[in-house]
Amino acid sequence: MRLRSKIVAFAALAVLAACGPNVHSSAVRGTGYVRVDEIVKHHPLYPQLSQIDDAIAAINLASVAPHVPMSASQIAAQTGELNRELRDAQLRANKILAQKQHDYAQRESQAVSAALAAAGIHGSGGLAGQQMSGASAQQLQQATQAANADLQAYQQNVIAQNNAASNSIERNLQTQADQKYRAKAEQLQQSETDLSLRLTQQDAAQRLAIKMRLSNLALDPTQRKQAQEQLAAINSRESAAVETQRNADAATLRALRAQLDRQTGDAIRNQVGAIAAQTRQKLEERRNEVGSQLRSLGPPPVPNNIPPNVQARIAQIHRQYVGAFQSDAAKTVADYNATKADLDRQFAALHGADVGATGAAAKELDALTKRRGELYGQIVAQIRNDASRIAKERGFTVVFADIWSAAGGYDLTNEVIKDVESQHE
Amino acid sequence: MKIRSAIFFAAAVALATWAGRGAIAADLTDVGFIDQSDLANLPVFVAANRQLATAKTQMDSQFNAQVKHVRTDAQRQQLTLQFQQQFNDKQREIVGPLFQRAQLAIAAVSSSRNLSIVVDKRIVIFGGQDITKDVEAVFAGPQAIQPPAATPPPSQIGFVDQNVLDGVPKVQTANATMQQFETTQRQVYSARIAQARTPAEKQQILTEFNKTISDKQDQLLKPLVDQTRSTTSDVARKKNLILVVDKADVIYGGTDITPDVQNALTK
Repeated sequence: MRLRSKIVAFAALAVLAACGPNVHSSAVRGTGYVRVDEIVKHHPLYPQLSQIDDAIAAINLASVAPHVPMSASQIAAQTGELNRELRDAQLRANKILAQKQHDYAQRESQAVSAALAAAGIHGSGGLAGQQMSGASAQQLQQATQAANADLQAYQQNVIAQNNAASNSIERNLQTQADQKYRAKAEQLQQSETDLSLRLTQQDAAQRLAIKMRLSNLALDPTQRKQAQEQLAAINSRESAAVETQRNADAATLRALRAQLDRQTGDAIRNQVGAIAAQTRQKLEERRNEVGSQLRSLGPPPVPNNIPPNVQARIAQIHRQYVGAFQSDAAKTVADYNATKADLDRQFAALHGADVGATGAAAKELDALTKRRGELYGQIVAQIRNDASRIAKERGFTVVFADIWSAAGGYDLTNEVIKDVESQHE
Repeated sequence: MKIRSAIFFAAAVALATWAGRGAIAADLTDVGFIDQSDLANLPVFVAANRQLATAKTQMDSQFNAQVKHVRTDAQRQQLTLQFQQQFNDKQREIVGPLFQRAQLAIAAVSSSRNLSIVVDKRIVIFGGQDITKDVEAVFAGPQAIQPPAATPPPSQIGFVDQNVLDGVPKVQTANATMQQFETTQRQVYSARIAQARTPAEKQQILTEFNKTISDKQDQLLKPLVDQTRSTTSDVARKKNLILVVDKADVIYGGTDITPDVQNALTK
């Protein structure tokens, strides 16, 4: 009997000891782990987190294209500056061309006078003047055509700039209004979330106590019904408080939208009106300027008869000076065109910029990232608390988060998910 | 006799239960953790970081002055590397000795408590031994810290270096392909989002973009991630490990199974 009892005892010892340290058995209750990322997805604040993630992703996606971080007033100011530079360049080019034209005309006049004097024709000064006037008639015709073409191109250019500036400002002001609205909406949404969370936490103990009572199978039907009603009353009270807050926030947002629409409309009208006035003034100035240039050239008098060889010589001198003038003027025109092309590029960059990446958007991105961090921190802190409480209740020794891989240990994730969900039902 | 054998049986059961608990407890009580942010707030670390930040500001302005004169991308890259090297040297000079002392302090405390692994506080939700204050006390002490005579005991917590696993050719190729795909899609969807007129349109485009990327990830990366995790689990089982964590979370000790996982993946 003694031997038998020893055998039985050792067999029991062996069986029980063998049950202990198998670290790969799911029955091992010492080490546990939770997949925090998975639990986060079941947290009641996860929809808010997703919204923020979406907003961040949208801004990031929109910011892939190159941008110029500017406000509407900055765009308007820079547009004005570019227009001023363009007008200065045109004035400079016109002044240089007028001076060159004058110089070449004078030199041509001297050459013609010399040619006439060499041919023995007297009163050469007056004749030469008349000949030069003949040349001026041709020049006047060319200048009028060129001036009209130039004025038309200028008009188109200025109007296109006006439209681009107006559109850009309108878009920018609307985006700014949207950003203000969105920021307020997010702020109110956050307050609602906070309120919801506060109420849930406030009632958590009471709710847990009722649930524990309900889980007692021995509870009689009257008591069970009473407990269920208490639970429903808590839920209803919380929902009513959140709903009241939500209605008040919706009214605030409606009022804000109306106010922003009014302000944006006024601002658009003011700024677009100012740009249109500038455009009208620029076109008027240019028209006057061209008119005055053309008037200064004067009407062409009729030339006197002169010998054919002298006429040929004068024509040759004219061709020579016109050619020299054109070649010289081409350089000035080329300089002007280069300046204009550069200004056009700057203008396109200024108005082609997407307002999504303005300074305001960058600020919004920062604010969203900060809010995301805070919200995620809040969610994870709560998950850690819940997981820690469960681990303690179940007698775990150590519980890890965010492990890479598990060959053993106990996965507490589903239990924590249930707990997180039950506290916020 | 029946009573005696029953008593003996009960005693054996109690002993076995105790021994079993002891066996489980033995592999569970040797985990320590440190709050690294607390350690980084020690005055010496704060002062060192401030010194390093000042040095970086100076280097940045020097870099900006010199980069204006470079003409090619190659020159720019060379200059960037040169400054990066300078910064690394400075970092080693200023923070290196402090890190070394902190490592020795952690090793000394771990050894005295017979810990097999010390991890970052962030990954411990419950249990474990918080050795932060002990390490800080040893670190702040006046005397030199001697390295422990023995290496840490074998740990049933393993770790893998994800950077090394990312270097496995097929993982590297998949990552590069995914990156290229994402860059291209970003350009495409960015242009579309710029054209969108309403928030609803933008949201629709964003949803499409997210789905495109997520589908590609499922097709390209998920099978590899699943394979890597399953291989890690197999290796861990063979080595009698319970859990495997990322190397970045391990401060001291633990069982490195990176080479085994790497080999299994390259087969």
